[in-house]
Amino acid sequence: MNENVIQVENLVKYYDGRCVLDGIDFAVPRGCIYGLLGRNGAGKTTIIRILLGLEPPTRGRTTLLEADSTSLPAKIRGRIGCVAEGHNLIQSYKVSRLIRLCKDLSLQWNDELFNRLIETFRLPADRRVRELSIGMRAQLNLSLAMAIDPELLILDDPTLGLDTVARRQFLELAIDIIQKQGRTILFCSHILSDVERIADRIGILAAGKLVVDCPLEQLKERVRKLRVIFPEAAPANLYLTEIVNQQIEGREMVITVANWNSQKQAILETFKPSSCTEIPMSLEDIFIECTRPSAEPLEVA
Amino acid sequence: MFALIKREIQDHLVYFIAAAVFSALLVLVLVEAVFKYDSRNPPVISISLGVAFAAIVTLGICGMGASQMYLDKSRRISAFLSTLPVSRSRILLARITAGILAILILLVPLAITAIFLLRLFTPPIPLYSGMVWEIFTATFLLALACYCIGLQTGWNSSAITPSLGGLGLTCIFVPLVVVKGLGPEIMVILASFIAASLFRTWHNFSSTSL
Amino acid sequence: MQIRIDNASGRAVYQQIINQIKRDIALGRLIKDEKLPTVRQLAAQLAINPNTIAKAYRQLEQEGIIVTRPGAGAFVASLDSSLSEAVKMRVISEELERIVVEAFHMQIDSQTLLEWFGSAVEKFNLSAKKPPSEITTGEQSNE
Repeated sequence: MNENVIQVENLVKYYDGRCVLDGIDFAVPRGCIYGLLGRNGAGKTTIIRILLGLEPPTRGRTTLLEADSTSLPAKIRGRIGCVAEGHNLIQSYKVSRLIRLCKDLSLQWNDELFNRLIETFRLPADRRVRELSIGMRAQLNLSLAMAIDPELLILDDPTLGLDTVARRQFLELAIDIIQKQGRTILFCSHILSDVERIADRIGILAAGKLVVDCPLEQLKERVRKLRVIFPEAAPANLYLTEIVNQQIEGREMVITVANWNSQKQAILETFKPSSCTEIPMSLEDIFIECTRPSAEPLEVA
Repeated sequence: MFALIKREIQDHLVYFIAAAVFSALLVLVLVEAVFKYDSRNPPVISISLGVAFAAIVTLGICGMGASQMYLDKSRRISAFLSTLPVSRSRILLARITAGILAILILLVPLAITAIFLLRLFTPPIPLYSGMVWEIFTATFLLALACYCIGLQTGWNSSAITPSLGGLGLTCIFVPLVVVKGLGPEIMVILASFIAASLFRTWHNFSSTSL
Repeated sequence: MQIRIDNASGRAVYQQIINQIKRDIALGRLIKDEKLPTVRQLAAQLAINPNTIAKAYRQLEQEGIIVTRPGAGAFVASLDSSLSEAVKMRVISEELERIVVEAFHMQIDSQTLLEWFGSAVEKFNLSAKKPPSEITTGEQSNE
């Protein structure tokens, strides 16, 4: 059995002549929680829609559980739980009818888990879906996705509209799922602290490309932000490779570098800086640096 | 599958009720026409009433097909169903099954009534055995053709355009029927049209973005 | 065991866990042979990826701070057994040098620095000749 639950090969997508995805390649191995990050409109939702077969790619190929996305057989779909952007449930139905529909059409259903979730979230069964708040729709969507005991969970902004407590509940649910054998989660989120807690691997989408795709801890170790002060004006060119960002102001230079190592340290030292301090970067900082328009794609080895 | 069909019926219950109602109305008209039949005084009112009902029904069938597709698109029903382990082909099949069910609800009582009446009375025009079946099948195919037009156009436009299309189709087919009669040739033409239309609908539905 | 993850910090999550466990041991909140929560338990409690917890535990075990007994779980180790003097000296010296460099850049004189160092040592109650159950995380407590 292939180790990669999700595989994206050279994915290209054009919308009305505009290039949204420009050659995306990544894979999500089994048992991994993959956090896909990107600014609004970066293309995260597009990738997920293509993965789920809701839209065809312009070029390239995506596979879920070894089946091509454009022709997912029902058996495979039954093993995938998904929460799409905006929680697309059938708005006009009553909650109970929607649940009944899902129950009837699903291949497996964990009633005990589902009822527990409904109780925890206190979702009303007799209201129409459109009368629920965004947060409750999110929770309903999550409950439906988890009730089928999915092997693969694909979540597009699953915490949209959730309050702090509900968000924490979601995180705990995700961890609960991943602790079971062989489960995998792919999710997008804007709440980077959440991503930092539970993700194994991170992908950052910017300008149609995946500028980062690596394990989370590697990302933090390899991307360094340094505040370097020179005795005289800071040199314009440090002859360092993989500079993500560089700002110079007089004698001071703030530089963000990928794959920092002793070699680069040595190169920096040839310029004889008077001080060099590391500025700790949170995932949020790294994300902001990597999604600046001028940023170069990081090859974080 | 059953769940899908049930869903379609529940969502479009009004059409099923209308089918039953119009079926009853047409049966009444037919019975009245036959009972009151007088070779000197053809029941013009009944016949014109019957034709009027038939026209409404044609529009209605077309409208049902269109409405099923249009509602799907506007309420994003298939978008949601796609997240469940059902293929688009199954969704479409359930949809068409529901449509056929509605048509049958409409036509079968009529057919039964016709057979019953034939047992009671001798018809003014000579009928050969099996003619009822032929007429029934041809009418069924005609209704199905209207339905297919509705299905095909309903995904992209509002409910009005396909109904006009159905009317247009009726205008084409009725003279054809009058000329050729409700015979095997008509059935072949209609069947080919239905097959082509369904294939196109299926192809569009399978590859559209949801 | 109360562990808090600071999302704004630049430190990796697993490093924060390591530091906080070490700190708890240093402050006596975790005592020798006390059982630590399992990876699963801690992951569920903190809503953190179990791999991260596992990594933290692995590193703690490598440093000799905890021991895992198969089938039983992870326990606070008796800390003097595995690390040699040389290793200890190296680790502490590296930390000390880092602090001295900082102080240099802040232009702090050696007298003041030694004063501050002294008060930090006192705070953690380092005894004169080290008994086995005490270890210090250093005079700076930055997680």
